[in-house]
Amino acid sequence: MNPVSIEEVFSSKGRVKILRILADIGELNISEIARRAGLNYATTNQHLQVLENHGLIRHKKFGRIRIFRFDEENPRAKMIKNLIEAWEQTNKH
Amino acid sequence: MPQYFSVFKDESKLDINYIPPRLPHREPQLKLLNQFFRFAVESPGKMTQRIVITGNIGTGKTVLSQHFGLNITGEAQERRINLNYVHVNCRECKGSLFMILQRTILKFYPHFPRRGYSAEELLQALMQSLDERNAYLILALDELEALIRFEGSDPLYNLTRIQEERPKAPQRLSLICILRQTEYLDALDPSTKSTLQRNVIRLEEYSKSQLQDILNDRVNLAFTHGTIFAPTVDLIAELASSEGGDARYAIELLWRAGKYADASRMREVSPECIRKAAVSVYPVVRKDMISSLSLHEKLFLLGVARRFRQAGTAYMSMGEAEDAYAVVCEEYGEKKRGHTQLWKYVKDLSVSGIIETKASGAGQRGKTTLISLPRVPASDLEEELSRALMQRSR
Repeated sequence: MNPVSIEEVFSSKGRVKILRILADIGELNISEIARRAGLNYATTNQHLQVLENHGLIRHKKFGRIRIFRFDEENPRAKMIKNLIEAWEQTNKH
Repeated sequence: MPQYFSVFKDESKLDINYIPPRLPHREPQLKLLNQFFRFAVESPGKMTQRIVITGNIGTGKTVLSQHFGLNITGEAQERRINLNYVHVNCRECKGSLFMILQRTILKFYPHFPRRGYSAEELLQALMQSLDERNAYLILALDELEALIRFEGSDPLYNLTRIQEERPKAPQRLSLICILRQTEYLDALDPSTKSTLQRNVIRLEEYSKSQLQDILNDRVNLAFTHGTIFAPTVDLIAELASSEGGDARYAIELLWRAGKYADASRMREVSPECIRKAAVSVYPVVRKDMISSLSLHEKLFLLGVARRFRQAGTAYMSMGEAEDAYAVVCEEYGEKKRGHTQLWKYVKDLSVSGIIETKASGAGQRGKTTLISLPRVPASDLEEELSRALMQRSR
């Protein structure tokens, strides 16, 4: 597993937003992630690249379309997803 | 306080989308479908199938296919085969292959992007997603006429030949084509036509006694015991059999008659309720027909119906129809569509038989399309549309 500092992932509001969206929806393309996160396409793309380089998310290609989701095989990704879900759950109460 | 009594125990069993547990008088066809698709559960991936189901309106084409879809996917699940059945109505998809494929892929990826690619790319994406999931798909294209009318033979050619582009890959996409008249297949190119015409299941119109069996099944499912009796069911079967053995019409009559009984606080659906229902259900203004129209098609038709009711004329020009539509749009707070779009609506509505059109001839200045409403009273159409639009705004 790559050595990744936790600050690197959580220090950006944009990245946390993206992770939250993916935890909520499951799979999504860049434009839709950007729209939901309120970010522009280029910024979203950069954040996605960082997250993918850290092994937290992965993408699937359908021709020109890239669809992103959590990399369920990565234990860190799983932990983050669980954390977000638990956080959202407590927000509801 | 008086207790509310309804003749219905579950009126959803009379809904157009309800799939009954048994299909009276369609067992042989169901068996045939099962035989055609036997390979899908015994040796999936080895071959694909293309079936045509044809028959008049209300002969059970849609429900036959859906019933089969439920059965076979259930059986596949038991055998741990990822077999999917997707039923798409081509008319609701405006006869667009893109929309048909998009609806299909959304079953696999609910958040698949809705724009930014072509129908061909979408078909590739669909095949890729089937490959990734090791899934098989039976795609039922209902009201196929719409797809052929709008896009010709290319979409069906692509759908039937996609497998040939991937000779070594498992065969994953089978088709069930549902249409009223096989004449539409003549519009296809010879190779697609021959591929499709190999397996045709033709559904004949239901006879009166067959309709009685269907109605009895639905009565047992939908009505409280002792609220509707055999002579009443016979009357419905008689009426529907004179309408060309249309089971859908029969079921809608049954539902409406129940509604009339409830509205009059009767404890039984009387033959008089059936007669009332028969007057209100015109074969062309059924609930399913109205609900399949887009918002602006409904608004346009409402404008037309109102204008006919007020003017009492047999024909109206396209310009008059547009004016009437503009008034309705204002009333409903909708931005009106342009002339070209309205002209498309007129074409679609005339194909589906609600309105009729003809070109204006001598005696009228200039050239316009004349619209008539020959099959249904304008006031009834207006009432149905207003009701549908009100439900939408709730």
